[in-house]
Amino acid sequence: MIVVSLLFYLFSFIMIASAFMVILSRNPVHSVLFLILCFFNSAGIFLILGAEFLAFILVIVYVGAVAVLFLFVVMMLDVEFKSISSTVISYLPIGLTIGVIVLAELMLVLFTWKRDYSVTDNLSITTDKQYSNTEIIGLVLYTDNILFFQLAGLILLASMIGAIVLTVNHRPSAKRQDINKQVERDAESSIKNIDMKPGSGI
Amino acid sequence: MLYSSIVFLPLIGAILTGLFGKTIGARKSELITSTLVAISALLSWYVLLNVGWVNGKNDQVIVILKWLTSGALDLSWSIRVDTLTAVMLVVVNTVSAVVHFYSIGYMHNDPSRQRFFSYLSLFTFAMLMLVTSNNFLQLFFGWEGVGLASYLLIGFWHHKESANNAAIKAFIVNRVGDFGFALGIFCIFYFFGSLDFNTVFSNASDLVDKKINIFGYSISAISFICFLLFIGAMGKSAQFLLHTWLPDAMEGPTPVSALIHAATMVTAGVFLVARCSPLYELAPSVMSLIVFIGATTAIFAASVALVQNDIKKVIAYSTCSQLGYMFVALGVGAYQVGIFHLFTHAFFKALLFLGAGSVIHAMSNEQDMRHMGGLRKFIPKTYILMLVGTLALTGFGVPGLFGMAGFYSKDAIVEAAYVSSISIGSYAFTMLLVAALMTSFYSWRLIFMTFHGTPRASKEVMSHLHESPNIMLIPLIILVIGSILSGYAFYDSFIYAGFKEFWASSIFILKDNYILKELHDVSYLIKWSPTIMMIIGVTFAYYLYIRNPHIPQKIAKDQEVLYSFLLNKWYFDEIYNYIFVRPAVLVGKIFWKRGDENIINRFGPDGISKQVVKITKKIVQLQSGLIYHYAFSMIIGLTFIITFYIIVGRGS
Amino acid sequence: MNLLIFTPVLPEIAITIVSMFLLIIGVFKKNEKTYSTISNLAILSLLVVLFLIFSGSVPKGVSFGGSLITDSFSLYLKTLILTSSIIILIVSNIYLRNINLLKFEYIILVLLSVVGMMIMVSSNDLISLYLSIELQSLPLYVLASIRNKSSKSTESGLKYFVLGALSSCILLYGLSLIYGYTGSIYYNEIASNLSEYDVGILIGVAFTLAGFAFKISAVPFHMWTPDVYEGSPTTVTAFFAVAPKIAALGLIVRILITAMPNLIADWQSILILLSIFSMLLGAFSAIGQRNLKRLLAYSSISHMGFALMGVINGSFDGVRSLSLYMLIYLVMSLALFISIIALKTNDEHIENIEDISGLAKINPVMALIISILLFSLAGIPPLAGFFAKFYVLYAAIDAKLYYLAIFGVLSSVISAFYYLRIIKVMYFEESAISFDPISKRLKTIIYLLTAITLLFFLRPSIFINFAGTASASLFI
Repeated sequence: MIVVSLLFYLFSFIMIASAFMVILSRNPVHSVLFLILCFFNSAGIFLILGAEFLAFILVIVYVGAVAVLFLFVVMMLDVEFKSISSTVISYLPIGLTIGVIVLAELMLVLFTWKRDYSVTDNLSITTDKQYSNTEIIGLVLYTDNILFFQLAGLILLASMIGAIVLTVNHRPSAKRQDINKQVERDAESSIKNIDMKPGSGI
Repeated sequence: MLYSSIVFLPLIGAILTGLFGKTIGARKSELITSTLVAISALLSWYVLLNVGWVNGKNDQVIVILKWLTSGALDLSWSIRVDTLTAVMLVVVNTVSAVVHFYSIGYMHNDPSRQRFFSYLSLFTFAMLMLVTSNNFLQLFFGWEGVGLASYLLIGFWHHKESANNAAIKAFIVNRVGDFGFALGIFCIFYFFGSLDFNTVFSNASDLVDKKINIFGYSISAISFICFLLFIGAMGKSAQFLLHTWLPDAMEGPTPVSALIHAATMVTAGVFLVARCSPLYELAPSVMSLIVFIGATTAIFAASVALVQNDIKKVIAYSTCSQLGYMFVALGVGAYQVGIFHLFTHAFFKALLFLGAGSVIHAMSNEQDMRHMGGLRKFIPKTYILMLVGTLALTGFGVPGLFGMAGFYSKDAIVEAAYVSSISIGSYAFTMLLVAALMTSFYSWRLIFMTFHGTPRASKEVMSHLHESPNIMLIPLIILVIGSILSGYAFYDSFIYAGFKEFWASSIFILKDNYILKELHDVSYLIKWSPTIMMIIGVTFAYYLYIRNPHIPQKIAKDQEVLYSFLLNKWYFDEIYNYIFVRPAVLVGKIFWKRGDENIINRFGPDGISKQVVKITKKIVQLQSGLIYHYAFSMIIGLTFIITFYIIVGRGS
Repeated sequence: MNLLIFTPVLPEIAITIVSMFLLIIGVFKKNEKTYSTISNLAILSLLVVLFLIFSGSVPKGVSFGGSLITDSFSLYLKTLILTSSIIILIVSNIYLRNINLLKFEYIILVLLSVVGMMIMVSSNDLISLYLSIELQSLPLYVLASIRNKSSKSTESGLKYFVLGALSSCILLYGLSLIYGYTGSIYYNEIASNLSEYDVGILIGVAFTLAGFAFKISAVPFHMWTPDVYEGSPTTVTAFFAVAPKIAALGLIVRILITAMPNLIADWQSILILLSIFSMLLGAFSAIGQRNLKRLLAYSSISHMGFALMGVINGSFDGVRSLSLYMLIYLVMSLALFISIIALKTNDEHIENIEDISGLAKINPVMALIISILLFSLAGIPPLAGFFAKFYVLYAAIDAKLYYLAIFGVLSSVISAFYYLRIIKVMYFEESAISFDPISKRLKTIIYLLTAITLLFFLRPSIFINFAGTASASLFI
């Protein structure tokens, strides 16, 4: 068990450190890279907890898709390299104060927490060893949790519509492919016979 | 229906001309109001005949509408008609009608005549409401209504500063009286649990033995109530100490003076005491006070009138003095006599005022008698009118034969004071006799200075001198008839043989109150004494102002102190100014400058609005538009909430 | 499987399907008429759903294993949400045509957001709560910036989105704490597991409430409101001001009353803070505004503070007063927003207070209507707004929270300042401009809503009973 604990603290430490680096790096590309590191470490923690499906989905979706997309966007936008400017420093004292207060309060939570087994035992979905974690998610996702699944789907739909409606700009001058038009074309409407006179252009 | 129309016709006129005066025009406004009031007057006479002699059915109460109900207080707006009311209806409506018609001529140059007529009718309505009320609260509303109308009419020429000041003065001095009156009403409600006349009067005797403690003195409750009510009456009827507003009120147009400040409103106090006779009969100490105040007023006002030079002021003080007579009559228990004098006085005093108005009209708004003189050749009709009025006022007549209106009523008061059993009666009698002499003197002085002798006016004024138009003179004939005949005609019913049947239950007197019978049985000397006084007065006036016109000035010079004492109205205005007005202004200034501006305004409205704007500016600055500020404010807010929560802990 | 188990959520399902159907129509049939066709279909379907709810055809009960609950309270709030969305869609049809922004996606987004709101007021566990909030918010972020050629609109959408994401983080953190301490996502189980006083759960509650506070733009989580209100198209602003607020308040009431009744003393103190701050800051800030939409943003912040007062007591009376408040607030705000939309000068919609100066001389009817609405918002009797404020103040006093009531009255007085200023501008200042005629459909809606505001006092019992039966279902 000591190995598990050691791994947990290792992952946690790297995760928190890289999270710090995300906001402290001067170079946005570095920030995204640290973010990826952060994701990897949280995936590691999920693995320790036995939630392998979540761990892999995190790596696949967040690292493989989202973070890489971020990286492309950041690189393509050519964001300026901004040093930690004086404005940031001017906010530092109050920011730190607030941070320390919040931290202290969360510590308070930590130290007053009593482990209540009757409650925490409920947290694991099943004790049945017959199925793996991934299988269990599969079992409930489309049955018990169909509502959540559908709601998430609707949210995605809404964001998709949003992304399209905000970015697609129908310029009348732009040339677009119109499959209907292409299919409907026939020789009669497309081909015109022109009687060319020698020596003249169209 | 009959009674309602008497009361409401003037109101209809007032509303019509008040709201639509501009659209219907001045001429129509005048005619509408005058006609309506005239109809009302005719109906009033009919009612008096009916109630006083024919039917004798007294104490009719017609409920117009339920007014307010609150706890034990249950009031209806109703019309109470008994003989007392009927007499008042006649007085109010007759004089009002005459004044309305007279004003058509008098005010013909004024651009805002509609307003004037609207106010006049409004006043008439308020006065009618006062005299027809069946409970104290309605009475009070009428009381305040006439006060308001009086304020509006005194200040009718609002561009004149003196008129405005006079209006305010009248209003404020009346507040003192009204305060007493209001307190009286509160006490009545407190003791009787009702404000209805019938309930209060029938239970009055229960209260005789009830004592209340005021500043350590034990006073009978009924006396206390009567005292408070009398303070109200003093204010409205311009009695001694609260009289100062009446002479100043002469700033209003003359018809207003005739209607409000001679015939009707100022007699409201007399009416109030007469109406409350069931209470006053049980409060002998207050009755003595009334006699004292009345007699003092009579002599005081008469003495001041001796030396006044403003023609209207003379008549105003005369009114004041005559009101004193009325109160003496009330005070000695001869309520009927007081009302009788009120009745006759209304005619001749209105006549005098309107006559004076005619003179002023003729003299191009000159009111100072020193600039008049010898007018009888130029305005003979007015002269005759004034002469009739003066004869009636001074009580011209031969006892046992015939006399003018004032002869019957005034002499009856003097006799009543003589026979009165109360200790202060002899004081009253003496004062009234002397006042009668003075009355005669100043009245004739007025006639002599105005109409006799050599003209003292400037040539320009003399060239404009003209008799008043018929519209002003013809209505006065009614008053002339009243001044000559009202005493003779009504003497019998009002205060002599037929008084019991006539008044019936409208005036209450105790069983052992025989004053009305006794006063007719006085010796010849007493009966003749007022007449003798009158003759002496006339002789003096004739001697000083016709025979030796230079003597008055000499006397004035020799007796400078006395003269200026009288000329300055016993220095009442100055004393009041010193005692009440200045300290009040001082206190007011302290509250205004220190309290209001420095404290309330600074920390109140001004200060708060300034702070609000300041806070607003600060908060708006927070809205920087920068997204990380917003995010940060959310975090700070969250932290604040959690911290507050951990430190302060749970709520309730 | 028996399909009847879905009948309690039939309205939501129906609207979802309609929105997808309309989306398909919109994508495949693009021409000038597309927008109005889709708009009319959407309005029609919403009306049908509204009718279903109103006629009582929607059965009550839980569905999806207890994740959603349909009771009188949720149906009442759904009625309000649907009514406001229908009105908004009708008005948008006219408004968007004017500003040349006929994108059919607008309607789809509104519909999706409405689904989100309806699930919000029905949600009975933490996950559906969170997901519905997100479903409600995402379309709104897009709607805020739908006028993507205007930098203000884009900016407002971006601000809304980023801050909304932050608030979601806060909310999720809070929810996870609650879940961690109670071991359940279902409200009733949370309520039964929440017996012990624990700092952790309290901080969870605080975070959760902070997340909610963002949604109802309570101070200090309100900063986005004025900017977003100003930047968004006015119909969207009107939608923001009403429907999401109703949904979020309904959700707050449900979770606090049914999941955390034991913690009343704890969330009470947080809500009192939010309420007082919102009322005062809303009132003060509005004074400094020139832009009408910004002013109304602050006004709505202040009103949310008032509405929160109704929750604080956690009693039936309090919830009833809140329900009534939402109804009256809906009527007043929508009427006022539509009045602003209706006023145009040379085809330009008015923006600032000065733009309506002298309105009383040019269009006395509209000036009178706006005055009535402003008086009502200020809480002057006998208009509807007075009753709204009266009942929440009464609830506060009933809970012995006198100082809260005093703050309420105070801020009401301050807010009268800026409401009256608008009236002053309309009546006592000279106008240099003229106004375009107002379309009949807008007029009808404005008159109708104003009539409700004006005549509410005749039979307040109708609405109060309506709100009363709705609130009673929370306290069984």
